Amino acid sequence: MSLPQRPGAAARRLRLVTIVAAVVAITWWAARGIEMSLGQLVRNIPQARRLLNDSWPPDWSFLSRLLDPFLETVQIAILGSTVGVLVALPVAVLAARPIAPRRWIYLIDRNFMNILRTLPDLFWAMLFASAVGFGPFAGAIALSVFSVAVVSKLLSESIESIDLRLLEAVEASGGTWFERVRYGVMPQVLPQYVSYALYMFELNIRASVVLGLVGAGGIGVVLNVQLRTFNYSRVAVILIAIFAFVLIIERVSEAARRRLV
Amino acid sequence: MSGPDLNSQDQPEISGSAAAALPPEGRPVLDGSSIEFRDASVTYKGGVHAMRSLNLTIEPGEFVVIVGLSGAGKSTLLRAVNGLVRLTAGSVTVGSTQIPSGSGGTRELRKVRSRVGMIFQDYRLIQRISVIENVLLGRLSQVPTWRTMAGLWPQRDKAIAYEALQRVGIEEKAWVRASNLSGGQQQRVGIARALAQQPAIILADEPVASLDPVTSRQVMEDLVRINRELGITTLVNLHFLDLAKEYGERIIGLQAGELVFDGSADTVTDDDFHRIYGRAPNQDDVLEAPPVALS
Repeated sequence: MSLPQRPGAAARRLRLVTIVAAVVAITWWAARGIEMSLGQLVRNIPQARRLLNDSWPPDWSFLSRLLDPFLETVQIAILGSTVGVLVALPVAVLAARPIAPRRWIYLIDRNFMNILRTLPDLFWAMLFASAVGFGPFAGAIALSVFSVAVVSKLLSESIESIDLRLLEAVEASGGTWFERVRYGVMPQVLPQYVSYALYMFELNIRASVVLGLVGAGGIGVVLNVQLRTFNYSRVAVILIAIFAFVLIIERVSEAARRRLV
Repeated sequence: MSGPDLNSQDQPEISGSAAAALPPEGRPVLDGSSIEFRDASVTYKGGVHAMRSLNLTIEPGEFVVIVGLSGAGKSTLLRAVNGLVRLTAGSVTVGSTQIPSGSGGTRELRKVRSRVGMIFQDYRLIQRISVIENVLLGRLSQVPTWRTMAGLWPQRDKAIAYEALQRVGIEEKAWVRASNLSGGQQQRVGIARALAQQPAIILADEPVASLDPVTSRQVMEDLVRINRELGITTLVNLHFLDLAKEYGERIIGLQAGELVFDGSADTVTDDDFHRIYGRAPNQDDVLEAPPVALS
């Protein structure tokens, strides 16, 4: 007996062709919109080669002057992560449907979280730079807000998936709302919470490099200055250092997280 | 038309002796350890009637076993006592306090709950923390919230928690992580947590359903002993008929949310069980199968 034809095979094939055609059409539309041209790319190869020539060899002597800016980047990331992760906790708890004490609190908090997340970290950096002046402090505040946005979303989802039966046990012994959260919720999400905090620190290290480009302190400021003065051999050193640094931070944080969960 | 007769036909047929509802002798009588249901009904969203005009009085210090098929309303009955489930009609009174209906009365309810311990089929311990910390949760209502939040339990409450552990005989496990205990041990921690509340009433919702026969007996004996020694009114949901007969003083039978039996364990017959279950009891309804002759 041979395998009978899969039912609706023709319709299936037609659907696949339609989807592929749609994707191609949309991509073509986007490429036209931004005036993408392969010719331009090819014509500019010599210029790219000049850029590489200028960057090589990297100016290794510049490396020693990167230590302080790097420290500043780390400090910005630490502060931003710590404050942000702490504030994210109540935000996340109130945005978890089974835990929120009132439905309207849940709705307000959820929308607040969504607004925070919609706006990019660069926006916050510029906002706080104009409020408290350019510098690492503005960067740290911006990263705090960014961290609240990311961690509260992740954490509230973790909280929504906990085992609610433990909450009933705490409730049955006369626990208050705070005690239900403390003993019914927290023990269940603590490993994830710490894991999110470490992940946030990783993200913030990377983000604070970019924030530096708009003047919010750290290694990004140095990168910005060297780029603007066309000092490409120094730019190369900075990029290599950032690459190595971010890699190390990620590895350490990943190892720590794996032990947790 | 005979009005009164019609009325009595609406009532569930109740057999057994009502004389079981007397305070057992020799046990200390605790304040707030009586329970009274008056025309109590619970209708869940979706129209399921989990309790229908229940009238029931439980005297201080009684050991009551509630039997019935799953879905008969056993859990609802227990949860109505500590307000985890609110009545949709009628009233339930614990001691001198009526459990608030609707969603209000949080403070009153917490006060009642502080003296009503609960034990669950699935133990409901925090797996990641130690046994003694789990037992301390029984002290939640007696310790200021700022202390419980920080985990700064007063010495006095730690002593009470440790005593509760001693009473169920697993004090040597105090600092062991709850997840490292066997099912029977976890259930004892659950009992200790309830005891740490220094309760007037203990509600045990299928406390042995997840345990093997030997451990089941040990847990039931713990509950009986605690009831005798401390006079704590104890309500136990069971679905094993042999355990119910063996340990219950008073047996209450529920069927589809209605009280269909209320009497002493000595008087309960197979016919009564037949009526409660709507069928003849079988092997699945007993903890241990009758002994098999080994050839």
